[in-house]
Amino acid sequence: MLDTLNQLEQQGLAELNSVADAAALEQWRITYLGSKGRLKGAMAGLKDVPREEKPAVGKRSNEVKRALESAFESRKATMGGGGGSSGPVIDMTEPGTAPTLGRRHIITRVREELCEVFARMGFAVASGPELEDDEHNFVKLNIPDSHPAREPIDNFYVAEQGNRERPRMLRSQTSTVQIRVLDQALREGWGPPVKVVAPGRVYRPDTVDATHMYMFHQIEGLYVDRRVTMADLKTTLFQFARAYFGEEAEIRLRPSFFPFTEPSAEFDMKIQLRPDQPPKWVELGGCGMVDPAVLEAVGCDPEAWTGFAFGFGIERIAMGRYNIPDIRMLFENDIRFLEQL
Amino acid sequence: MVRPSAILPRMRTSLQWLQRYLTPADLTVDEADHVLTHVGFPIEEQVELPTGDMQLDVELTSNRGDCLCHVGLAREIAASTGRTLAVPTPKISESGPDVSSLTSVDNRVPDVCPLFTARVIRGVRVGPSPAWLVEALEAIGQRSINNVVDISNFVLFELGHPNHTFDLDRLKGGIHVRAATGGETLMCLDDIEHKLHTDDVVVADDSGPVSLAGVIGGRPTGVTEETTNVLIEVATWDPTRVRNTARRHQITTDAGHRFERYVDARDVETASRRVAELIMEVAGGELCSGVIMAGSADAPRTVVDFRLSRCEHLLGIEVPREELVRLLTTVEIAVEETGDPDVLRCTIPHHRHDVTREVDLIEEVIRLHGIEHIEVAPRMEVIVRPPQSDERACRMIGDVLTGQGFYETVTVSFLTEQQARPFIAPGGRLLKVDEDRRKENPWLRPAIIPSLLTCRKANQDGRVHPPEGVRLFETASVFGEVDDGETFGRQTLEFRNLALLADLPRGMKAAEAGQAGVRTILGAVESVARSLGGPQVKVDVVRHDQPVWSAYDGKAWAALHLNGAMLGTFGLIARPTLDQWGLEEGVVCAEVNLDALVALFPPVSSAHPLPSFPGIERDLSIILDEATPWSDVEAVIEAARLDLMVGHEFVTTYRGKQIGAGRKSVTLRLHFRDPERTLRHEEVDPQMETLMGLCREKLSAEIRG
Repeated sequence: MLDTLNQLEQQGLAELNSVADAAALEQWRITYLGSKGRLKGAMAGLKDVPREEKPAVGKRSNEVKRALESAFESRKATMGGGGGSSGPVIDMTEPGTAPTLGRRHIITRVREELCEVFARMGFAVASGPELEDDEHNFVKLNIPDSHPAREPIDNFYVAEQGNRERPRMLRSQTSTVQIRVLDQALREGWGPPVKVVAPGRVYRPDTVDATHMYMFHQIEGLYVDRRVTMADLKTTLFQFARAYFGEEAEIRLRPSFFPFTEPSAEFDMKIQLRPDQPPKWVELGGCGMVDPAVLEAVGCDPEAWTGFAFGFGIERIAMGRYNIPDIRMLFENDIRFLEQL
Repeated sequence: MVRPSAILPRMRTSLQWLQRYLTPADLTVDEADHVLTHVGFPIEEQVELPTGDMQLDVELTSNRGDCLCHVGLAREIAASTGRTLAVPTPKISESGPDVSSLTSVDNRVPDVCPLFTARVIRGVRVGPSPAWLVEALEAIGQRSINNVVDISNFVLFELGHPNHTFDLDRLKGGIHVRAATGGETLMCLDDIEHKLHTDDVVVADDSGPVSLAGVIGGRPTGVTEETTNVLIEVATWDPTRVRNTARRHQITTDAGHRFERYVDARDVETASRRVAELIMEVAGGELCSGVIMAGSADAPRTVVDFRLSRCEHLLGIEVPREELVRLLTTVEIAVEETGDPDVLRCTIPHHRHDVTREVDLIEEVIRLHGIEHIEVAPRMEVIVRPPQSDERACRMIGDVLTGQGFYETVTVSFLTEQQARPFIAPGGRLLKVDEDRRKENPWLRPAIIPSLLTCRKANQDGRVHPPEGVRLFETASVFGEVDDGETFGRQTLEFRNLALLADLPRGMKAAEAGQAGVRTILGAVESVARSLGGPQVKVDVVRHDQPVWSAYDGKAWAALHLNGAMLGTFGLIARPTLDQWGLEEGVVCAEVNLDALVALFPPVSSAHPLPSFPGIERDLSIILDEATPWSDVEAVIEAARLDLMVGHEFVTTYRGKQIGAGRKSVTLRLHFRDPERTLRHEEVDPQMETLMGLCREKLSAEIRG
């Protein structure tokens, strides 16, 4: 009996190897594994096997059955699907589907990326109101009454019926948050040191064109500590440029003037805005050492504390990185535009 | 720290004109560009002129009024290149009668006019200017008028001292520097009759104003071809008063531009001599003796102590002592030793009005030394901060909503009055900005939804049809104010809100679409709240009779509460509002307070073992009065305190003839389970009976089949 089984296995496997097409394979299946096939026939002989041999013969016949079945399955698989599937027709080439996903706005995403890079450098994210007073937008930032930046023509002052002590306005710069955060830190006793970035909307009555909008986004940085130097400022901006724009980033500072920093500088970065473009110099924003008058205005001793501040526009980076030709596209929110980025 | 471009002053400069004051006079355009950029005054534009000269448009910083002239810029170039600066030293001979016998000056406003000087030249021959003068002025885009007026302009652009020449014979009596009186008018050189304000300061003669101080001269007393006797005015004016007058009359002049940025009184007399010298050179005449000085040119020199240690402390690099002294000296700052080796005493030249403090000198040192000498460090110290809830929460809101097909928008904060009106809550007060700035939409938005409606319209115009309809969200500030009367006065309100908009599903009956839309938007808000606060967070829907905003459909809106406090509202936008925005299809919106949501973060959640035994689900349909809210049903389920029940959910609502008008059939599904063993139906039956009893009792419900 064992011999019969061994023979059956050998013969079956050999024949299976020479099977050439799906029809022959099916014929083989009927011959060996079918309900009236040779395996069934051989198993029927089991009842005549002496009682003491039964376990061994039974075990062997199962082994042969499994060997033939598995050989059949793998042969069927290698023959390429044909194996007599009776299921529905599936077109494997139809396009895929996915649930509709929205997109976060590109400005929010760039803002988050920037905050994330600065967070790695130890900056916390701070915020302040958009509806400000001239105390925070100008006075405490060392911008005196006579300064041209305060002209109504360059700012959105709130139209008031009655007189107020302090004119209200939409902030024209995120530098207001410098004052807010230092005030808060001193009041609540947790700083300085203060090391924050403050992203947000700012408002200026610019004439709208492809690169100007009367509302846009800035990110402001402020670091005040015992011994912060201009070298730290330059290092921070350089390390940021490298962390965000890549290994090849370079930085250049040019002397300039801001009422709330002294010394002041404009900073340019040589950066690769897009992977398909070589690095180039981009005028990014302003920076400098926090003016002693600003520190004094919030009650910080400028002899004990020094600091730096910087700021730049978020749209500028988003537009450069994503090839956005017109700033207005960012605020129209046509889904066909939003889903491109 | 991004500067509005309009604020930086510009100065049109001629390369050849600059050379006049430089020895050797061999400055090239490239060198000028390099040097000026390096010290902070980049050249924005270069134009090659037919004469071979180059016009350079230099961008200055607002603190450096002293550089709004050729001598000022030449001084910076000389300092950085080692050239010698040759400042003109006027030589005049006074042969005429004493000036005080011909005119007088009565300065009644010395606080606005620290110094007013007058000289007189008699017998000038007014005519065309010589070629050098015409060329010089044309090189910087100025038109030649006549030789006397041209010299006046030349000195303005040479020394930065605005000055004015009067036809002496047209002045009646003496000169009075005074405030304008109400009702006075002046025909100015811009050929506009300006109505003067009592805050304006004027130069007047006995009959009335002859020039608007520091801004523009008057037409009737100006120098013309007929003029023979000239009065030269060189004065200084308070920057703020000049600015106010210029703005009030909307006059922009080169004189006003410079006075607004401060002109020092101590150099006025030299400028006056220079004007006289050059007028006599090009127009002849006889200079009267002396000068009338009404006011004072005496001011102490600014002396500032400079600590070398502080300089290093602020810059983070050491500039060697000798180098530092050399740099300051190149810009005419006199440096003296003191007893303390760390301290240098610096005397600041007149024209450097911007240098008054030690930190200003430190800026001067690094500006001249070169910021490029500050090396960047390869590593930096970092204090690791804990994660910030606000940031993470806002990101999570974005993730949850975009996962549901919502696109984030960024829209501007302004609305037209018409757009704002449907979103004014009863008693609410809106704010607007000065209407001259935003004529069409000066209102600060009280809600974000109107902006989302505008975006929806833009997408309708673009024929955008995503499969699930347009879904938008935005987080932004909204504005308003309250008035507490005399106690606190008016208080500004600024809140951060989250607003959502979704199209109603298409291909359904209006009622079904509305119902589905409302559930979509409520579901979105709930999913945000639960993601932020954990699965136990519950947003309550609270119905009111009167809508907060007329924008909502009066019958299809409700308030949202979170932990008993108002979170916001949601509802269908009413047809008139849709029409106002030109929207064809219905939309559903929600607007909620962002800070209340963010306060939920981080989510409170913990893991529980998964059930080992199967549970039992039972559906229950109850017929209720149409007005019964879902929250009442939930309240009854909770009140039943069924110990085997582990959860419940809403399945569907059915309305129809079998149910009857004004009634609805609500189907809910209840989940029962025993954690210790397999539950049997006989155990659940009594619990269902209890619940059905309570539904009949508390909700007057009829239990369906």
